[in-house]
Amino acid sequence: MIGQTLGRVFSSGNRKGTASALDLSKLAPTRDERLFLVLSIFIGVISGLLVVSFRVAIEWIKILTLGSVPHPGQYRLLFVPALAGVLVAALVQWFFPAARGSGVNQTKAALYIYNGYISFKTVIGKFITSSIAIGAGHSLGPEDPSLQIGAGVASIIARKLGLSRQRLRLFAPIGAAAGLAAAFNAPISAILFVIEEVIGQWSAAVLGSIVLSAISSVVVARHFWGSQPMFRIPAITWRDNRELVAYAALGVIGGLFAFVFSRSLGYLRPRLRALPRWTQFCQPGVAGLLVGVIGFFGFPQVMGSGYEVMDQAMHGQFAWKFLLALAVLKLLATTLSFSSGTPGGMFAPTLFIGAMLGAGVGSFEKLFFPHLTGTVGSYALVGMGVLFAGFLRAPLTSVFMVLEVSGNYSIILPVILANTIAYLLSRALQPIPIFEVFTHQDGMDLPSMEEQREEKPLHIEDALEPLLVPVVKGSDAISSVSEAAAEGRASAFLVQLHDGSWYAMTVEELTGAAAALTAETPVERAVKGDRVPTLFPDMPLDNALPYFPRWPLLPVLNRASRGKLEGVITLSGVLERYHSD
Amino acid sequence: MAVFELRPPLTAEERAEKRRLILRDSMALLSLFAITVILGALTYSLFGSFTRHRDVLARRWRANGERALKSGHPKEAIEALRSALEYAPGQRDLEVELAMALAAANRNLEAAAYFNSLLDTQPGNGLIHLQLARLAAKQGNATLAVEHYQRALDGTWEGDGYQRRLSVRLELAGYLISRKNFPQAQSELRTAAGNAPNVPETRLQIARLMEQAQDPADALDIYRVETRRKNASVEALEGAGRTAYELGRIGIARPALARAVNAREFHMQANDVRQPILQMLENSVRILQLYPDPNLPVRALAGRILNDANIARARFSSCFANANASGEMENLRSQWQQIPAKLSVNALEQDPQLEQTTMSLVYDTETQTAQLCGAPTGDDALLLKIAQAPTMVLQP
Repeated sequence: MIGQTLGRVFSSGNRKGTASALDLSKLAPTRDERLFLVLSIFIGVISGLLVVSFRVAIEWIKILTLGSVPHPGQYRLLFVPALAGVLVAALVQWFFPAARGSGVNQTKAALYIYNGYISFKTVIGKFITSSIAIGAGHSLGPEDPSLQIGAGVASIIARKLGLSRQRLRLFAPIGAAAGLAAAFNAPISAILFVIEEVIGQWSAAVLGSIVLSAISSVVVARHFWGSQPMFRIPAITWRDNRELVAYAALGVIGGLFAFVFSRSLGYLRPRLRALPRWTQFCQPGVAGLLVGVIGFFGFPQVMGSGYEVMDQAMHGQFAWKFLLALAVLKLLATTLSFSSGTPGGMFAPTLFIGAMLGAGVGSFEKLFFPHLTGTVGSYALVGMGVLFAGFLRAPLTSVFMVLEVSGNYSIILPVILANTIAYLLSRALQPIPIFEVFTHQDGMDLPSMEEQREEKPLHIEDALEPLLVPVVKGSDAISSVSEAAAEGRASAFLVQLHDGSWYAMTVEELTGAAAALTAETPVERAVKGDRVPTLFPDMPLDNALPYFPRWPLLPVLNRASRGKLEGVITLSGVLERYHSD
Repeated sequence: MAVFELRPPLTAEERAEKRRLILRDSMALLSLFAITVILGALTYSLFGSFTRHRDVLARRWRANGERALKSGHPKEAIEALRSALEYAPGQRDLEVELAMALAAANRNLEAAAYFNSLLDTQPGNGLIHLQLARLAAKQGNATLAVEHYQRALDGTWEGDGYQRRLSVRLELAGYLISRKNFPQAQSELRTAAGNAPNVPETRLQIARLMEQAQDPADALDIYRVETRRKNASVEALEGAGRTAYELGRIGIARPALARAVNAREFHMQANDVRQPILQMLENSVRILQLYPDPNLPVRALAGRILNDANIARARFSSCFANANASGEMENLRSQWQQIPAKLSVNALEQDPQLEQTTMSLVYDTETQTAQLCGAPTGDDALLLKIAQAPTMVLQP
């Protein structure tokens, strides 16, 4: 209904706008920029409200279907996830095909393939199918769907306001950050994740709007849920330097679990997708049944998003053997639920497994080395970051997430140590990140953010040539400059003008000037109004390319001494450098 | 620079179109605002109903858990309290109840982990230290238990901290008594007595524990204070009588026991409680009849000593005939031989030295025959009791 209203209101305006065929850039040249910021706030608020409703819907469905507190041995644990799986599969197959999966890759696809287009139907479908699946006990989380819902809201609003295609593409990450921020109740982590995993770069054009929308959505979420994150963070302590050994061990365990988790999903998902289409109607049902079996026979904690269980683990309510059992079973349940195509996210299960591993290691240490260990909650929290870094491969987000939700800087050393170990180990064992694996399985080729981060771009210094061309002053007479050019046998030379700027002149240009002016005329009177760009050796080589059609060569300056030349670059030299790489 | 950039003037049609564009954008933003308000109202309503339902569930599961815990079903209590915590996360008292349920279900590792975790968030919390002390006591770790009890005493308490600390101290004393660590228990109880409020129940509880900690003298002091109250309780009277009797202070024990027996509540007690008291009263009366009270008239005192001497002589003769010959018995025999065989009231009345020697021999006889021929009965037993602390019998 909201989408239809939006559509009616905005599309009428668009029709008129396009019908007039007048140039918007002439009528209102700053319209897009101004709307961009205002709409970021609206996107944040609406995404926040939708995410709050989404989470409440999940909780209501959980209470109504599984009961207020699911216990082992309840038969409903067996049939509720199975029936929900069948229902969700039917909805996805018949009505909302784009709602399948987690939401992160779909948002990236919208950004890179569909010009930021996410349909209203997808948003509604994601909301309905994910809330039913997670509420009924499938082992999935609400964050990735929230991210997609936010991106969808942004896409709808931007489309309906008739913003340019370029702007439209920028709106998806703004909404994604808003949705994720509201789901996590942690704006910095959401912003970083979107930059790290969705857009892959720090773009000044979009950063301000991402921050605005994320903050707006978090304000809304906190109005309802309070300022605490989704789980209560216990007191964080770091008691002894020797504890770092335990945190390092946690990093290793987390890295191995991340590898096993990635491999399980990478193995099962394509095989289930390759089965005949009719099986897609029952795969989520079967996965639900198997998850229900795990719950029925003693571990209902693995069902659903599991936030309350993470909370309990953080507060030391479980013994270490039980915690490790929960980690293993959650990995299994999530692999089943996600591979079957049930809509829902990977964030919460990842955090769940990490929290269980961390709390397990912490409880073990507390039991056997009581004087060495800090709180179990510290380990659980670091464990969450460890799996986030190892499995989702977002190392920066993982560190800031732990710091943001704990509000405690003192734990930074263990977090960095454990996360780095898990990240490196996971990368060594499984070179392709999980989101990229899914992308390839889905037959797409989206940019890999991890590869982008690790690309080594060429710099100007890589194509720098020694200064062999003549260098003259602007005050030099044309005759003397001609002599210098002839002596140097160069097709072009550099002129340093009185204001310190540079001009690259061709011999043809000089010959033309000599014909028109007297021989004593200073050469600077022969130069045109433009100047060569200021380039330094550390700048990306790409920056120089646009200038070559105009200039025969480009001077490269020294940063410490502005007037001093480091050398020159030429088009042939730059191309040769690219070819040799 | 853009500020000074010259733009070609808009035509009339363009100006009109620009006005329409501004109007359209304003309408669009207004519509967006209206949609946000409607969505906000819907979210409020959904969230409100959910929050209310959560509160109801939290209360219901908490009540179930507390009921189960009280009725001795800790496993059910654990599930219920965990459920309550899911819907009311962060409620400290609920968390403590859950940890207590874990401990009650003998899931000691989980309980200890949980309590330690709670302690991390609230260092110095008296209640959590108390629970950890109980857990350590249950696991047989006396050192850790006492350490946690001490920290509970030094810790912070919600509500009436004074009263809670006293109750922890009494619990610690009880634990020390159970570990037969009487000196430390007595020390804790003396501290408790010094700080205890003037409430009969509390003071009587301390006195009872003092008795168990083998400190009847301090217990008697408390009981005596309590017996001076108007409408003194039968428990205080019995306690005073019992401890005074144990200490041999029969002069105090007899009236206290007599008052206890005459109290209406005394007869409402079980027979096995009343019987020892009645026996003590009877013994006290008889001890006072046997005791050579120096305040008695000279003749009466001599008569009483003569009676005691006859009882002790008979006990000696009986024991001497049955027991193997030993140095102690031979020594006693020689002492009895020095006492005139036909000892009379007149002889004793005229010779205070003889009285003293005779009574001394009576006490020695009862003490040594008790060791050589087994525990005495009847008047011999009572004389033995006097012999253990003759000066205490009438001590005020």
